[in-house]
Amino acid sequence: MTDPDHDLEQALASLRPRPPGPAVTARVAAGLDAAPTRRGVVIAWSAGFAAVAAVFLAAFVFLGGVAEAEAPTYQLVHVEQSRPDVQFFRPVRLTDGSFARPVRVRWEDTTRWEDPRGDARLIHYRPNDQLTLLPLETN
Amino acid sequence: MHDAHAGQDWRAWFAEHGARLRLVARQWTRSEADADDVLQEAFVRFWKHQRHLPGNPNALVVTSIRRSALDLLRRSDRRALREKAVGDDMDTVTWFEPEADPRLAALAESLKLLPDEQREVVVLKVWGDLTFDEIGEQLSISPNTAASRWRYAMEALRRNITARTHD
Repeated sequence: MTDPDHDLEQALASLRPRPPGPAVTARVAAGLDAAPTRRGVVIAWSAGFAAVAAVFLAAFVFLGGVAEAEAPTYQLVHVEQSRPDVQFFRPVRLTDGSFARPVRVRWEDTTRWEDPRGDARLIHYRPNDQLTLLPLETN
Repeated sequence: MHDAHAGQDWRAWFAEHGARLRLVARQWTRSEADADDVLQEAFVRFWKHQRHLPGNPNALVVTSIRRSALDLLRRSDRRALREKAVGDDMDTVTWFEPEADPRLAALAESLKLLPDEQREVVVLKVWGDLTFDEIGEQLSISPNTAASRWRYAMEALRRNITARTHD
């Protein structure tokens, strides 16, 4: 089916609208080629700061996630108990009439774990101090 | 029409399309000066902020022109007295370059005689390069109504040209 208006539309399209004058082009140039306005500068700086903040936030989240994902897997590598320091005191008489000698024993327990993939170490140190009574046999 | 998404120089784009966009602007303004103001404002906005948007760049730039024209009309309505003094130069300004062909000259003159609602459909279709769907969106009418106005306009233009060329 042919368009009866085709010829007329073609004729219309061949009409040449008058172009805008040089004054209009100059005003468009002023709008498009002008240096950034103060508001534009503020927006640009704001956008820049926002972008930097976003990068830091992303890095924080990303690195935090990495640290969590690659948490050290410690393995027990060393357990040490120090030589005990023993002190004997003078015998004392107990309420039941028997005698006992106070003995004070001090030592340290040290346990160490290490991550074989790195230099991470975990050291647990525990001092111990015990006072005991050694019963004395009396004849 | 070239793809406005491409990284073009605005001067080349404006040189190629400015004339037909000015004619589009002229449909919604009361004077040539207003059309120039509208074209300048609309084109700067389009080029700065809208040319990379998805969709038909023709429709985008025409939308920008219509928005600027309506803004200007609203401002003008608040200055009604001054606008009346300026008047409407619809009949005194030539929209097109002079044509040697009498049939084309008659066509250009006949276009101005169309009712506004028909003429804007013709201008949007021929020089705005819009479809009836897009014209309907621009004018808030159905595509069928746009097509109907187009047909009435074609009939009227044909009658006018025939009458003028037989005078």
